[in-house]
Formats: sequence, C-alpha cells, structure tokens
Amino acid sequence: MFTTGSKLFIGASALALAGTLIYSATQDSGAIGTLGLVSATIVLVFLMGINFWVRDSNVSSMDTPGIVACSAAHPAPGRSMWPMVAGLGSALVPVGLIVGKTITWIAVIVLMIATVEWMVQSWSERASSDAAYNAGIRKRILHPMELPVLGAIGLGMMIFSFSRIMLHLPSAAGAIVFGGIAATVLLFGALIAAKRQVGRSLVATLCAIGAVGLIGAGVASAVAGGRHIAKHELAQRTDSVDNCTGNESEADSHSSRAIAGKANLAGLIVLQGDKLYAEVIGINGRQDTLTLPRSTDSFFEFKNLDSGKHRLVADLGHEVVDPGTDKERKVPLILCTQAVGEGGKQFIVIKPPRPTSADQQYFFEVPGIDSKLKIEVP
Amino acid sequence: MTNLRTRYRRSALSAAAVGALTLLAGCAKDAPQDTFQPAGENAREINNLQRPPFMIAGVVLVIVIGVVFLCVIKFRDRGQVIPKQTHGKPALEIALTIIPALILIGIGIPTVKTLFDLAKTSDTQCVVNVTGQQWWWEYDYPVQPGCLPGGITQPIVTANQMVIPAGQHVLLRITSRDVIHSFWIPKLNGKRDAVPGRVHTLRMQADQPGMYLGQCTEFCGLSHAYMRMEAVALDAPGFSAWVTNQLAAYTPPPAGTPAADGEAVFLANCSRCHQVNGIAGSDGKPVIARPDLWVYSGATPNLTNLMTRTTFAGASFDLLTPDCRAKLVDAKSADFTALYLKGVEANCLDAVQLREWLRNPPGKKPMYTDATKLGPTNGKTRGMPNLGLSENQIDQIIAYLAERK
Repeated sequence: MFTTGSKLFIGASALALAGTLIYSATQDSGAIGTLGLVSATIVLVFLMGINFWVRDSNVSSMDTPGIVACSAAHPAPGRSMWPMVAGLGSALVPVGLIVGKTITWIAVIVLMIATVEWMVQSWSERASSDAAYNAGIRKRILHPMELPVLGAIGLGMMIFSFSRIMLHLPSAAGAIVFGGIAATVLLFGALIAAKRQVGRSLVATLCAIGAVGLIGAGVASAVAGGRHIAKHELAQRTDSVDNCTGNESEADSHSSRAIAGKANLAGLIVLQGDKLYAEVIGINGRQDTLTLPRSTDSFFEFKNLDSGKHRLVADLGHEVVDPGTDKERKVPLILCTQAVGEGGKQFIVIKPPRPTSADQQYFFEVPGIDSKLKIEVP
Repeated sequence: MTNLRTRYRRSALSAAAVGALTLLAGCAKDAPQDTFQPAGENAREINNLQRPPFMIAGVVLVIVIGVVFLCVIKFRDRGQVIPKQTHGKPALEIALTIIPALILIGIGIPTVKTLFDLAKTSDTQCVVNVTGQQWWWEYDYPVQPGCLPGGITQPIVTANQMVIPAGQHVLLRITSRDVIHSFWIPKLNGKRDAVPGRVHTLRMQADQPGMYLGQCTEFCGLSHAYMRMEAVALDAPGFSAWVTNQLAAYTPPPAGTPAADGEAVFLANCSRCHQVNGIAGSDGKPVIARPDLWVYSGATPNLTNLMTRTTFAGASFDLLTPDCRAKLVDAKSADFTALYLKGVEANCLDAVQLREWLRNPPGKKPMYTDATKLGPTNGKTRGMPNLGLSENQIDQIIAYLAERK
C-alpha cells in the first residue's frame, strides 16, 4: 500500500516530529531550534503527502498513455553543474547585499548565466529521444555565446597572470623567465609536431599543467605585490642657489625614469676641467650656448666628470605669479639637480616660459664653478 | 536578355572609367604633396625603396587575379564530376614558402639600409627646431656654426613657413607643446611624429630652391586639417639675405601714419600673446609677450617679420593674392629665391583674408576659444579668440603688419 518513497518521508516526518517534541521539552531557550524543527516537520509531512498522493508516480499497467508520458519512461537527464552554480549564485546574493555591490553584481550575473544554461540544457534534453541530436542543438544555441565569453575570460586570465608575474619579477629576471617560457613552449611544440601520433589526453594534460601553473604564479605574484621601482628625484625648484640640497640616491641610477630621460635628450651638459659645455644633436663640437623653444619641456643630462660633488643649476630668471591680481609678484625660477660625484649623472627638465631678452638672461651653471652655459629662448 | 547585356556593358564601362580616372590621377604632374615626386635626396631614397616592391606587388596582384579568373571561368560548375581531392604537395609548399621569404629578404635589406641612412645625423649642415602646437608650426634656428658660412649668431624664430638653404643637409629637431602632431613634407622626406617631451630628428634636403608643401598627419583636434606647413628652400645667398633680414633691428612705423596707429592697437590688443621683437611700450621698455598665460600651448606665432612669409594661421590662408601666389609657387628654381625674398608687397597683399581673420579668427578656422568652455584648460584658449576689434582697428593693424618685413 505504501510505496518506498512514501515510507521514507513517513519515517523522516516521524523522526522530525519526535525530534521537535524532545528538543522543545528539554531545551529552555531553544525557540529558534524548535521553530527550525517544526518547519522541517511541516516540509517533510508536506512532501510525504505529495508522495502518498501520487504514489511515487506509479502508473497502472492498464494506463497506456500514462506509461508513455510518465517521467520514468523518459531517458534520465544528464549530469549538470548548473544547479550547483545557481546555488552558488543564490548564496552569493545575500553575501553581496551585506558585503558590497560588486559581489551582488557577480552573484546576479552567475545566477543569470546558470538560469540560461540550465534552461537550455533542460529544454534540449527533452527535444527528442536522440541524446546526440539533443547535445548538438544545445551546442548550436549556446556555443556562439559560450565560446567568446570563455575565450575572453581565458585571455584575460592569461594577460592578468603575465602582467602580475612581470611586475613582480626583477626587470632582468623577467626577460630570462619569459625567454625560458617561450623556449619551453617552442620545445614542446616541436616535440609534439615531430611525433606522428600524439594522444589528446597528453596534449590536454600539458596545456592544463601550463594553464594552472601560469594562473597560479599570476595569483601568487598578485598577492606578493609588484617589485619596488625607485622613483627618480626630480630637479628641485628653489628661489636661491644656496637652497639647493639633495644628493644622488640609489634611485638615480635604478629608476625607470632614467631610461625615459635618456630617450628624449635635447642635449648633454658636461662639467669637465672646471668648464661647462653642451653637446647637442646635429651641431658638431662643444657648445657654450643652447637655443631652446619656449614653453616646451626640454630634457638634459648633466654629467659630472670633475672630482668632488657638483650639481647643475638652471637659472630661468623670474616668473610672474598670480598675474593680473593684487597678489601679482615675481619669484625667481631656479631649478637644481642632486649633487653627484665624479662620473655621476643627473636629469633635468626645463620649460622656459618667456623668451630671453636684454634684461632677462637664462643660464645653466654649477655652483662654485666659474663657467656658464647661455640659454637662448627665441 | 538584350537589356541584361546592355546593363552589364554599362557597368563594365563605368568600372573601367573609374579605374582609368584613378590611374590618371596618379599621373598628375603638379601634385604638391606627392611622395612619388621627390625633390630631395631623403625623399628620393624612400622613393627608390618603395618603387620596386610596388612593382613586384603589382605583378603578384596581376598573377593572382589572373589565376583566380582563370579558375573561375575554366573550372566553373558544368555538372562535371568533382576531381579526386588530394592533400599536401611538399615541393609546391616549400617553393611557396621560399619564394616569399626571398622576396621579403630582398625588400628587407635595402629597407634597413634606408632606415639607417635616413636616421643619420653626422652629416648635418644646418639645424632647425620644429615645434608643433594646435594648429600651427613654429620653426626656430638655434645659434650654430652651420646653415651659413659664418653660422647663425642670434636665434631666429618664425612660423608656418620653414626656410632652409637648398642643397644643405638640414636636421629638424621636432617636438610638440600640447598634443601629438606629425610633420610631413612628402617631397622632401617621410613623416615624423611631434610628441610633447620628446625630440625626434628628421633629415631634410631640397635639391632646388622652391616651395614644398606638407600637412600635419596625426589627428590633433578641431583644426587638424588647417595645420599645414611649407618648406621654402632658398639658394645660399638668398638664405643668407633671409637670415640677415630676420635679425634686423625693429623699425617703428613713422609717427602719424595708419601703421603707427596700428602699432598702438597691436600693443593694446595683440602683444600680450604675439611677440614682435624690438617693439617697445609707451614707457620705452621692450614688450615681451606672455602667451603662456593665455594660450594652452604656451606659444603663438612670432609676428616680427610676418610679411616675409606668405601664409598665416597654420599656413592655411595666404597673405598673397591668388595671382601672386601662383606666380611664386610656379616660379622656376632660378627665379624663386629673388621672388620669395620680396616678401608680401603692397600690390600682392590679400588683405581680405587677413581682415576676415582679424574680425573673427574662430569663424575662419575652428578653435577652442569659447570662454565658457575652457574649464579643462584652466581658462586658456586653444587658438586665437575673437578680440572684438572694430573695422578701423583692423585696418590699422593691417597697415602696421604690412610693414613687418
């Protein structure tokens, strides 16, 4: 009389009821627990009633249409991960509502994806009695969406991993590591190409190991953080040469800015034998006058070939501050580099705002050295 | 059936006519910005490099198209049996790999040589600093031992027209004050980007005196299309005369003339941005323009010798009347220098263009000058604003500027 399913739910309902009674009788402050057990009892009784009513979907052998239409007569549905993904999305929604919008949005997107995938999968599995055909129509509908998205995610993961690893490694090691990776890929590619028969599982395993290794290294590098990049000291602005301070630091020779500076030089300024001279692209010989465009950044490298520490100073006259207001005033425009020892280098960027004139002359000079480079700004 | 054939014939004729016109356009003799008509050794090197690959590519194109048509016609579907399909033809595949590789090597070797030749700076005879900004080019000639037998002893600054000595190896040091521009005078060399904070070099050499036109080739904002450049090559004595003239002392206009009134109007309205070397204020002190306070790029064209050049506003508009302009541009090399050094004479001045410009510059050339929209540039304009000059003031300024040569 009672089917197997009904018996299961009858037993579970009885157990839940007994548990409720015992828990409520023995626990003084167990209102929430009692409430939970009562809820469970109600749900189980409800399921027991449904099961009892439909008699585990038993179909009478006399009911021919029922035999054809009953769920047991259909092929069993295939394995699906989408209920699990949907569950994950559902669990993430309240977490996101508490923690932050980003997680909520991710949860909603996960839920939407799971819903669409689950729906299409369920529909396709009932499309016909031919499982292969059903799988085919599922692919036809979902692959145009799945493949670009998965490709983008894969590419993004790869770019993210590469970038984190490169930022984490020292600049010299980066070249070696990635040279090694490229060589390894080439080697495996050549080996695979040389073999007549290569097992798909072998290639898949190698690719999987590579991908996991790359992403793992990327995540580890991201957690460890980027390498320290020394910040080059900029030329110091001051109102008097006497206020120039600062000495060469480790950053002066190990900063990325040093490379950028070298690539953009308007000229090289050298201190040698107590004389200051300039070397400029296109003009042969040592120059004692530099012509620079106004209102434009001009990069120079200062090289100290004399003994002792020296700094280069750019004297660009005066600058008008707060023009056209009551506070309008002239302030000296002086820039100085760090002091460097013999063989040391410093970069300086100057941007003369006004042209030179009889009463406004600009110079490069080195404090303590009686030699100047004239700057002409037409 | 007849209608269909007639329609096909018309379509074929139209396609042939368009093709023929395209081909004929490539044969124009007076194309001022034609890279296939080099006028200097650098442009010639590029031209010599690009012609053989174009020819090879043309032959390959003809062969490929011919084979495609042959296959389409000869093997079209007539209901015949599909021939046996084969895969792989090692000899053919190796040949089809080696032949393109050899072609690429054949192109690559002279390309690398040309690249090195075009990057050479050691044979420089004259240096010009080129600075781009929205939307005009500034040229300054640094103090140097080159360009002239005695060198250039005082810096020179000019705009829109770059004057160079014909036959000399000129090195341009190109940069920008605001956004990225690109300098290109096709008849003299390839293009080079002008990037803020960077100095890029470009060799320039013109065989003969003449005018060579160019165009900014990196989109740089509203008036990119109005950012032109002209290289003017003069013979050696002519270039020397041009330098002497550029460095000549300022000559104030005679008192009581419209030009003198124009100088006063200029001082009151224009001198805060535009420099005229040597001009003095009412207190006798030299007036130094401060475009860096008003203009985003920090610079405006120096107008000291405006009438020695023949264009203004980014070489977009002529100071010469069309007849005089045509006479100058079409002049023979031997006559060009003398004609150019005359500058803009009174009978050749196209005052209409200049008047329109002074009346409303953004109306003639689109520029960012609307005071209500200058938040991102901290109130500074990109280009020249409308100064609200009266017609009388415009006449006076033109009278003053007409003497600046």
